[in-house]
Amino acid sequence: MSDVMVDATVNHGSTVEMRMPRYGMVIDLKRCYGCYACVMACKTANHTPPGVFWARLLKGEMGKFPNTVRQSLPVLCMQCEEPSCLEVCPTGATVKLDDGVVIVEKDKCMGCKYCMMACPYGARYSVEKWESYFPDGLPLSPYEEFTKKAWEEKSGVGVATKCDFCRDRVADGKDPACVDACPANARIFGDLDDPDSEVSWLIKTYRGEVLNPEFGNKPKVYYLPPR
Amino acid sequence: MNPEANGQMQREWGWWIAIYLFLGGIGGGAYTIGATNWLIGDGAEASTALGLWIGFPALAIGSICLLADLGSPTRAILAGMRPGTSWMARGFWIISIFMILAFVHFVLHLFTGASETAGGQSLLNIIAVAGIVFAVGTMAYTGILLSTSKGIPFWRSGAVPVVFVVSALVTGHFTIMLGMALGFGGQEMTEPLRIMALEAAVLVALEVLAIVFFLQAAFAHPDPRESAERILRRRSFVVGYFLLGLAVPLVLMILAYRSAAVAGGYLTTIPLGAALGLVGGLILRQSVLVCGALPTLNMGGFEFRRIARPKELKPGIGLMPPT
Repeated sequence: MSDVMVDATVNHGSTVEMRMPRYGMVIDLKRCYGCYACVMACKTANHTPPGVFWARLLKGEMGKFPNTVRQSLPVLCMQCEEPSCLEVCPTGATVKLDDGVVIVEKDKCMGCKYCMMACPYGARYSVEKWESYFPDGLPLSPYEEFTKKAWEEKSGVGVATKCDFCRDRVADGKDPACVDACPANARIFGDLDDPDSEVSWLIKTYRGEVLNPEFGNKPKVYYLPPR
Repeated sequence: MNPEANGQMQREWGWWIAIYLFLGGIGGGAYTIGATNWLIGDGAEASTALGLWIGFPALAIGSICLLADLGSPTRAILAGMRPGTSWMARGFWIISIFMILAFVHFVLHLFTGASETAGGQSLLNIIAVAGIVFAVGTMAYTGILLSTSKGIPFWRSGAVPVVFVVSALVTGHFTIMLGMALGFGGQEMTEPLRIMALEAAVLVALEVLAIVFFLQAAFAHPDPRESAERILRRRSFVVGYFLLGLAVPLVLMILAYRSAAVAGGYLTTIPLGAALGLVGGLILRQSVLVCGALPTLNMGGFEFRRIARPKELKPGIGLMPPT
């Protein structure tokens, strides 16, 4: 499919060109204070099972006592331009869409977990069975029942899963759940190919960096430096 | 930092995959030895027969182990439809073709043995050459599968396929020796076993060199170093693999070669050395798998380490996100 779509609608006599966006995200580390709102919003929006965190938060420390600094690092699937998970997928279940988002087609995945070994960012999960959040073999609560059903429709067990930039929400014109939930506005979602978009401006103005560029995956999640 | 403390080890590939890689190595190694013997004219030798017989069942059981590890095994056939895309898909074909060739060779050898017509011999020779190519491919594939895993720096080394190929030849060799000593028995096995003991000693020495090279290369970089340190702290690796799986079999094989009396002790020296070597081969693969660690993420001068994805959730911690 071409990167450029031509809209048939005529606007004041001229044809409007609609370009396929290339979605990306900017995370401002100066703003992030590690509240886990993104983590919980992702779980709620995507009904991920216990132990699965498409959005995660890492903590790092630097310096020597007493002059130490602690920094939070929100991580998610980097939606790489050159995804190593896609390269190793033996069944073609991992697909990069035209908008650059990498997804797993659940009906094609055989659950070999090779993609999990290939992702240097550790963004992928595989669910072998659904377990209750609660101990001692308690039956699933009504909320868990609902979540399980929603998850099975979306992904299911025995297959690889990962963040898809909340495709359904983005299709409805919304931002991904983690972006919406961030109380510090540390996450910004948008079109990396649009020079006028906020993400492009932030990356250019504040020298956005990607995590571990030496991996060579060309991630589309950029970070604004913490200091 | 103590790798135990940060716990960023992969947990997804465990025993099933270790057994799959181990049996793949045994099948490929044993067949390579058996078919090579066949080609050089030792068709009537017990080592030839055992080598040809072991290839197919080892791979068949190994493939069952792989299927057991898959989340959706019914879709495994999809891997065969895209052979050019991924090493796992290529491995599907390499192993499948090797299994077919090994099975055909095994059946033909079983029913016709070495007393074949010239035409039959040349057919078997063609099968043997093709079988060796795919057997070597199978042995190398077990290492290439790991070395192409970009997310685990410890595995991402050209030394991994070398270690796995040499170890596959060692374990294949030991399986044949074990079969000869326990299955065939008899005084007439003494001399062939002595020669095989020497070959095994040379192969084990090569494996020692390969594993030392692999670990030395891992220590050269921070991310794989963590895994290398962890593997050397594992008692099962140091005692089970390095000492009992390599050093002791090496000594026993040298002793068996030097003394026909020792080599003749079928139920002691050679079976013991071979069995220890086989257990060592399994421990090697399991240790390499479980010590595979995710790389550290860096940003703004900070190092961010990760807690591994939990394999099984413990009651009560499900609500805690990994940090």
